[in-house]
Amino acid sequence: MSRQRSMEAILASEYVSIGELTRLTGARYSTLKFYTEEGMLPFEQAEENLTRRYLRESTVELIFRIKRMKTDGLSIPQIKAALKEER
Amino acid sequence: MADLKLAESFALIALNAQRSLELTIAKKAALRCMAAAVILELHLEGELRHPEAQRSLKQDRAGEPQDWTYRKAVIDPLANGKRELNRELLWWLHRASRLSKRKLVRFERSIADSLKERGLLEEIPHLLGCDLYFHSADVAIKEYRSDLEEYAKITEYLRADVLEDGRAAEQSVCLLWLLRESGCMHDLFSRNELEQVTAKMVNLMQSDPLAKVLYPFRIRRGLETAAKQLLQFKKHAVATQAGSGVNFLFPVLERSQAVFIDTEAMLSGPGTRLQDVLARLESKGHRVQVLRAGQVPLLKIDNLVYEAIPHAVYGRVPIHGVRLLPKHPV
Repeated sequence: MSRQRSMEAILASEYVSIGELTRLTGARYSTLKFYTEEGMLPFEQAEENLTRRYLRESTVELIFRIKRMKTDGLSIPQIKAALKEER
Repeated sequence: MADLKLAESFALIALNAQRSLELTIAKKAALRCMAAAVILELHLEGELRHPEAQRSLKQDRAGEPQDWTYRKAVIDPLANGKRELNRELLWWLHRASRLSKRKLVRFERSIADSLKERGLLEEIPHLLGCDLYFHSADVAIKEYRSDLEEYAKITEYLRADVLEDGRAAEQSVCLLWLLRESGCMHDLFSRNELEQVTAKMVNLMQSDPLAKVLYPFRIRRGLETAAKQLLQFKKHAVATQAGSGVNFLFPVLERSQAVFIDTEAMLSGPGTRLQDVLARLESKGHRVQVLRAGQVPLLKIDNLVYEAIPHAVYGRVPIHGVRLLPKHPV
């Protein structure tokens, strides 16, 4: 089991884990897992059994955008469709 | 993700881990709520407001047999004449939640069959069948198991929609009410999250027109009412000046089991003990995932999470094994 990284170390790194994203954005682990499974959050994974890595800056920005869209009254399928259209 | 309607999504949550052959109190409460879910599903689609659409429900529709069979099982006994056709949502909910036992069983079969056909629901030996006494007496009990992937998707969607800020979708508004009424709330949310869910429901009741109508309405009947009242009594009995505890915010109709599984050897180590437990569970057709090993392992059996606590039962000789205790939520 690896040790939890300090916030300084997280903010300095290019890639972060899903647990670190919860610390950076305040979103729930289960929510981020759901967004990932639904294809809303892109990630990298070297092999099937290895941890998923997320690009820190773009993913954090994306999560805050999803939060804003949800606060504006969009449902999750609508947000998903909007993100898909942009890609 | 299969394109599921509200009643089907809720059925996958409510029927999961329920006995399939017997009509238990928990299952009866779940079925009443599933019937109410059919009404809500039609309401969301605007079907209840249009008499023509209601009439069409009474006729066989060739292209969509799966949808209409379970809907008909609820609507047919309720809408007998023209005067029923323009009733309010609450009238429909009230009637649907008071269907007779026979009609509930017919409805259960129709929705379960349609889900089974699509591979979303299956009948497996009940977890209680792994218990020392049931196993050695060769007693067969069956239970429903929802498709693991689909169950996770429905529940994770609801959690993401409800626990995060922002407006909840209409389907989530309905699911929250259905979970509260069927006593399934604790399957999905932890104690801390239940506080948030309560706040969200209060908020929705003030801002959402559907929640305003729906949330004050309670489904109560017969033994289920007695069971819920007992829980209410317990809530008041343990209340202090500081509060009554989040545990009692929502009544729970327990559907997980406390099962004792005997191990091959006495005083076996954690590794051997776990292997014995996994072997017994897998031999009975359960899907087990070890979430945490060690002295007290955490196991996800089908869709529910259990702690496997070392335990012994005493007869003429002590029998060593583990007691599976449900751990909420998933």
